[in-house]
Amino acid sequence: MDRKVALGVCFIFGLVMFAQYFSQHPAARSINQAILEYWQIIFAFTLLVGVVSVFKNNVVQIRRGQDRSYRLITLAGLVAMPFLALIWGIKADMPFMWVFENIQAPMQSTVFALLAFFVASASFRGFRARSVPAAILLLSALIILLSRSAVGTFIFPQMTEVADWIRHYPSMSARRAILIGIGLGSLTTSMRVILGIERTWLGGGK
Amino acid sequence: MWELEARFVLSMLWHYVAVTASQASPWFDADKLPTLIAALISIIIVLYTTYHRSSREKFKMREIAGLKAVEEAIGRATEMARPVLYTPGWGGDIQRPTTIASMNFLSHVAGKTAAYDCTLVYPTHDPVLMAVAQEVARESYARAGYPDRFRSENISYVTSSQFGYAAAVDGIISRLKPASIFLLGTFEAESLILAETGNSVGAIQIAGTDSTIQLSFFIVACDYTLIGEELFAASGYLSGDRSILTSVRAQDILKVLIGLLLVIAVIWSTIDALSGNAGSGWWSF
Amino acid sequence: MKNIETRHWTFLGLFVCIGLVMLIDVKLDIPVSAQTRKMFDFIDSLPAGSVLMVSFDHEASSLPEIRPIGLVILRHAFAKGHRLIGVALLAEGTVIGYRLMQKTAAEYGREYGQDYVYLGFKPQYIAAILSMGESIPRTFPQDYLGRPYEQFDLLRDVDNYDDVAAVISVTDGSLTTHWMEYGGARYGVRVLSGMTAAMVTTFDPYVASGQMHSLVAGLRGAAEYERLINREVGGERGMLAQTTAHLYVIALVLLGNLIYFRSRRKRKSA
Repeated sequence: MDRKVALGVCFIFGLVMFAQYFSQHPAARSINQAILEYWQIIFAFTLLVGVVSVFKNNVVQIRRGQDRSYRLITLAGLVAMPFLALIWGIKADMPFMWVFENIQAPMQSTVFALLAFFVASASFRGFRARSVPAAILLLSALIILLSRSAVGTFIFPQMTEVADWIRHYPSMSARRAILIGIGLGSLTTSMRVILGIERTWLGGGK
Repeated sequence: MWELEARFVLSMLWHYVAVTASQASPWFDADKLPTLIAALISIIIVLYTTYHRSSREKFKMREIAGLKAVEEAIGRATEMARPVLYTPGWGGDIQRPTTIASMNFLSHVAGKTAAYDCTLVYPTHDPVLMAVAQEVARESYARAGYPDRFRSENISYVTSSQFGYAAAVDGIISRLKPASIFLLGTFEAESLILAETGNSVGAIQIAGTDSTIQLSFFIVACDYTLIGEELFAASGYLSGDRSILTSVRAQDILKVLIGLLLVIAVIWSTIDALSGNAGSGWWSF
Repeated sequence: MKNIETRHWTFLGLFVCIGLVMLIDVKLDIPVSAQTRKMFDFIDSLPAGSVLMVSFDHEASSLPEIRPIGLVILRHAFAKGHRLIGVALLAEGTVIGYRLMQKTAAEYGREYGQDYVYLGFKPQYIAAILSMGESIPRTFPQDYLGRPYEQFDLLRDVDNYDDVAAVISVTDGSLTTHWMEYGGARYGVRVLSGMTAAMVTTFDPYVASGQMHSLVAGLRGAAEYERLINREVGGERGMLAQTTAHLYVIALVLLGNLIYFRSRRKRKSA
């Protein structure tokens, strides 16, 4: 019964949102606006699910004695940030923002910076001219890399034009083909969800 | 000469349909008529392939190396007594079709890990995704006949922050050293970080994403990569689910139609350019 | 030493190369690309007082690359006398965007409420983009500082995207795609973007088809824009490190291929 209700709601709202896309009538626009507002409210409640999950998992692991110190820090952060936000607010220059700007942001930038190192090691390991197409791909990659640096035009004056040609023609045509395929896959999957053929989002099963 | 006549007739017909549609109901935005027509054609094709009997007859799908390797990957994890890690990426939530395709794939992987008694670890960035994944896995374990092997704590919400998620999954990979890693879903910049860390622990990695940028990282760093709509076809391929396989057929039909449209538009615009006409530009809507 | 693998040496090499060049203060001569010039020309050609929406759709992690891009765009817009509405569709971009706007506005003597307003963060970016297409005051009844929307002179005539010359999405991910799909396709708002270099090939097809007007990409794009507005934001300074990193990766790729071909030849002769 629950599934039938959920499927029915999904179908009705899918149909309504599909239909209102093609209308500029004030009634259609106000339906659209209302649904968007409800969507944002529902999203806020889903965050509670996440908080409870993190809390529960970490408490269980702490009781088992696994990675206790790290999990205690996690829970401390989970409690401290809302506390700071509630007491002093989340505007600029408040303690919440100080923690964000001086602890969270640098940590995130550090992990993002790892990407540069991983690109270097992946390039060293992965870029091999094993065949003619691979060699052409490798040459294209080298041209693009040089064109995005400051020395490309010193090595070859038309480097930027060649790189732009590679980006705008062979690379873009392949990308467009993949995008069309992905778009069609998304279209058919969405249709299956709205029509109730696809029920994975309900938690699996037929 | 006949091309000019044909174009004139088609332009008049188009104008008539658009005007009639907008006049028939003030509710309808005539500018969106081409989009509506395209959408209706797509819907009809999907419905036809899904429900028409002859369309549901057996047809052959080409082999996809990454999908053939799924069994091997899970078997490897079982032999090495190491877990299987499955990550849907940071970029998507349950409303994205890519995530739904990933859930279908998860269902298949979960069934296999249940049968082989192999641990499945699924860290996620979205609480709703966590709840859905838990239900999908629970049901897969039950369908495989091993409901008692399901562990909900292995499917957990980590954080919604992108690099917090990347750091957490990296930590899980470094500590647990999974033998197989599935990276299927919507990924952003964290893709190469995860893939390289997986590579460093010697895991076999099967990846698939809808992001063309991250695809290139996966192709370099992973053993098998599902490109583009192979991810959407994957779950049908593995499970033999008719509804998904018929959707793949619908996609193929739509691709042929798009190809035809492209060819017609190219010829039309070439004739326009050669004859010096401004052209209708009917194909850009 | 036993546990040091080849990849650790590549990491060390990159660290040393970039570490050394960061000690050198050299600015490189960067020619301006057509891509960057297109965005510059658009903002430059708008009549003074035009309303632009700047959306800070990025996280704190990409700040070193995104900040110069955001700065050049804001500086140009304020210098031309345009009026700016700031929003953020990712939570982490909220205070970053606010501080950037506040700091840049102060450089040009621009007043909050008259010349710029920061509306803050709205969750569920698709819903937020669609909602602003219907009504911006309904989406953001208050600004970031909690003051009512109607209070601001700048916002009095701004109800939805029809009253905005363009949306500039400053992003480190693919959120700009949603601006084009929902804001551009549905409501017809012109979309421009400042983005990290890694994302530029994702959006090339959209620029080519006209769905996105123009974009500025990465540190190089910021460096090019710096030249056009004749103000330093760190783009040119960072190009030396970026160039070094690129050359290092090229050297690694060539070395890797050299090793590969040598071992292949040895296997064949064996």
